[in-house]
Amino acid sequence: MTANLLWKRIWRHKLFYLFMLPGIIWFFLFSYVPLYGIQVAFRDFMFSGGFTGSPWAGLKYFEQFFSYYQSFELIRNTIVISLLKLLIGFSMPIILSILLNEVRNVTFKKTVQTLSYLPYFVSWIVVVTLMQRLLTPYGGPLNDLLSSFGMEPIQFLNNTTWFYQMIVGSDIWKNIGWNSIIYMAAIAGIDQQLYEAAKIDGAGRFRQVWHVTLPGIRNIAVILFILSVGSLMSAGYEQLLLLNGPATAAIGSVLDVHVINSGIGEGRLSYAAAVGLFQSVIALILILTVNRIARKVSDVSLF
Amino acid sequence: MAKRQFSIFSGLNYLFLTLFGLSMIYPFIYILAYSLNDGKDSMLGALYFLPRKFTLENYAEVFDNARIWQAYKITLYRTLLGTFLHVALCTLMAYALSKKSLPGRTFFTFYIFLPTIFSAGFIPYFITLQKLHLINSFWVYVIPMLFNFMHIVILRTFLQGIPEELEESARIDGYGDFQIFVRIILPLSGPVLATIALFIGVSHWNDWFSGAYYVSNKDIIPVQTLLQEMLTEAEALSSSMQRAAQQGGQTVNVNIEGATPESLRMALLVITVFPILCIYPFLQRYFVKGVMIGSVKG
Repeated sequence: MTANLLWKRIWRHKLFYLFMLPGIIWFFLFSYVPLYGIQVAFRDFMFSGGFTGSPWAGLKYFEQFFSYYQSFELIRNTIVISLLKLLIGFSMPIILSILLNEVRNVTFKKTVQTLSYLPYFVSWIVVVTLMQRLLTPYGGPLNDLLSSFGMEPIQFLNNTTWFYQMIVGSDIWKNIGWNSIIYMAAIAGIDQQLYEAAKIDGAGRFRQVWHVTLPGIRNIAVILFILSVGSLMSAGYEQLLLLNGPATAAIGSVLDVHVINSGIGEGRLSYAAAVGLFQSVIALILILTVNRIARKVSDVSLF
Repeated sequence: MAKRQFSIFSGLNYLFLTLFGLSMIYPFIYILAYSLNDGKDSMLGALYFLPRKFTLENYAEVFDNARIWQAYKITLYRTLLGTFLHVALCTLMAYALSKKSLPGRTFFTFYIFLPTIFSAGFIPYFITLQKLHLINSFWVYVIPMLFNFMHIVILRTFLQGIPEELEESARIDGYGDFQIFVRIILPLSGPVLATIALFIGVSHWNDWFSGAYYVSNKDIIPVQTLLQEMLTEAEALSSSMQRAAQQGGQTVNVNIEGATPESLRMALLVITVFPILCIYPFLQRYFVKGVMIGSVKG
């Protein structure tokens, strides 16, 4: 009887199942089939054999990766680059939104905000092309500016001395505006009475920021921090594929790019899948750990 | 004293934010000037805000170049088709998931959420694309980007906010489920549809990776991939310039008349960036809301 009712309810919603059908198929093909395909990391993958038809190889490809003379370097570079981006890049949007919040002129504020979103909407190709053009020592505007102060021209790109500054700097330039949106919204949601109360207690502008604004955006900051720690094992493949070259390979080769190059470039699919799986598992462990710590320390967590 | 401190801070803040805003827009002003300047003249440097020898030749040559035209057309096709299909299909799915009475709603939500926590990684995904015969096909730009969990969540949150009374009164008027969706729900969803269209449209427009790694047929690479190829060429050129400079030789041969590869590249860059630059400020109000829903729910 109840089964009958359930079928009736399902039948009544038949149109909605039809609406969902393309999505159900798509997620199956593009998310679940690849999950099933993770096993190629444990097999000697041959294209004709497919995911299940290739012979088992055990942990051969994981051993291959860890005995690879550069594997330590790859892991270190990945962590260094994403840690730099996390530590520096994470605080920048917060600072920007606090500074913008102190502006009283609405038109000025809106203009700066609109401009700050602009780089988010262009591709990494465009960003790197812009960098190449603006930073070149051969008549680029920045080096012209430096030489007008009597400084020597600097080779910014493909130079190990400047590599990390360029990676972190361009990442901030591209994303700072976009990432500040959420903080601007959180600040706008703070009760104005808290500021009034702080003022009555004699708090100046800096103390108001410290005691009202920062606590007001703490929760959202914790959540975003957890999310970014989860991607600590990936340093941003698009940016590094484009900005890292032979000159900076020693400090700029990262796991993401290594997976793409050894997988597609050299056709070592099983090996690359093993490296990728290693990356995913570490990322999962990281996000679960940070989530647990955050829940203990601040009552804010994802799950 | 306190008041004075306050105004110094305020002044510095305005100054800093002005410089910040300029740093966001200046690179684009510079390439615009470069693209409107005679290519050979630009090689002399000292070009900052305005073109020195104004010319439209760079653009004329870019539009004359069959390879660029082809790539631009591919970008346009994939962006229009991909955006339309993505918005349509995600909205259908989100509408179904917004129905609280739908049996299995929680299961299907979890079904599309799970892959966001643990991804299979690039290689299994790549093999899947191969198995589906998407490699080296135009459809590799469109089909793998048809759905996105976050976009479905944003759409669903919006659709859940539409009062149910509207649907009920339409039902009394004799509307069926499909008519309600088309005549009641869709007309109310303009802002959120525009937001999602902007998000996915920009990802289509900016995607160079698929063109570089999933496609070897040069006739179907999009503009961004073409720019990437030019980037590599330009890098080779600049390192040869560097070598020439280090060897104490003269500056590179500048006997090309008019446009240079570099000035063409800048013109192409401008026509690649320009459409987005024109659209996004008008959608700002909507995408700000979209980002907020996305991060709260995510």
